[in-house]
Amino acid sequence: MSQCAGGGGGYLAGSPFGGSAGGSPGLRGRGAAAQSLRPCSVKQLLNATQAHTDAEWRIDDVEIGQVTVVAQVVTINSQATNCVYWLDDGTGRIEARHWVDTTSSEETDKWGGITENTYVRATGSLKAFGNRRHINATHLRAIKDPHEIYFHTLETIHTVLTFEKGPPGGPGQSPATQHGNAGPSAYSAQAHSASNNAQFSHLPTLQRKIIDHMIEEGPVEGGLDVGSIARAVGVSNAHTLSAALDALMDEGHIFSTTDDSHFSLSV
Amino acid sequence: MAEHVSTRVNSARLPQYVGRTVRLACKVLKLQGETALVEASDGGQVHVRLTRDANVTDTYIEVIGSVLDESTIKMMACINMGSHLNMQLVNDTIELVHDPRFMGRIF
Repeated sequence: MSQCAGGGGGYLAGSPFGGSAGGSPGLRGRGAAAQSLRPCSVKQLLNATQAHTDAEWRIDDVEIGQVTVVAQVVTINSQATNCVYWLDDGTGRIEARHWVDTTSSEETDKWGGITENTYVRATGSLKAFGNRRHINATHLRAIKDPHEIYFHTLETIHTVLTFEKGPPGGPGQSPATQHGNAGPSAYSAQAHSASNNAQFSHLPTLQRKIIDHMIEEGPVEGGLDVGSIARAVGVSNAHTLSAALDALMDEGHIFSTTDDSHFSLSV
Repeated sequence: MAEHVSTRVNSARLPQYVGRTVRLACKVLKLQGETALVEASDGGQVHVRLTRDANVTDTYIEVIGSVLDESTIKMMACINMGSHLNMQLVNDTIELVHDPRFMGRIF
């Protein structure tokens, strides 16, 4: 998609704005973050920092690439070459500029239907021109379901927390590892770390315990017996255990070996 | 830019915002001339002084306005939000927005 990171710079370079903003070549050849899309509040964009005018933007010292905001359109100012949308998401106001491609008739389909006093989702890259910041918008669309506004708020919080603490369910999230230093739980913390690699961190507790156990046992000829798994994870209810085993098989984490009651870990 | 902040609130948060601009997602209970009675996401009732050209068409609206007292808002703008809005979700989101970990930093 040419409208991604490279396109962001390209857009500018070809625009009357690009010349004065200067240094758009510097926008190319950045790290992986340049290709990413981060949900933000307007306040985060207004507070974002930049080491120098060509440097990447940072929020809480994390590099950002493309950004997406959900906000109310306060005013629309349509000009010959570009359209300026004054956006307000309750945390602040920022302009979103879209460069109009007069040669394309698709434009009106994509950008039409946006009126003042409605919510939109704007996606693009953050730019500064003088003291003012704006979003160089590559996409702008009306919000059809108001729940998206709240979804965006929650996603913004989720993103901040993910940068702060790592993905949910990962190391440091489970009580066992949090108190890993305490005497009796030192062992369980260690056992836990086996499956703490991200591959299994999303699994429900029981399924993770089963995986833990199978990793601990190592490869066994003919697979592990259901009975020994049940004892190891401390589950006596056959239904619960077989549901967990079925789920793990469906996900492809384990497979049955000689018969339906022996399992091996698929690596 | 600080003058353009309009924080999302429910009725319980209004006393903290007297004199400031807020966004209140609410359900319209009664439209009466130049005022409306609405229900905020936490179930509290709020009086809204409408603007003359207010275009309230939907069951759920977002009122942007200044807080006159703990149960009255003077509308500056209004956004129609359709006929379905999960007020529990709205309220939970508002409470997270006001969480000291995020208020000021993100919102």
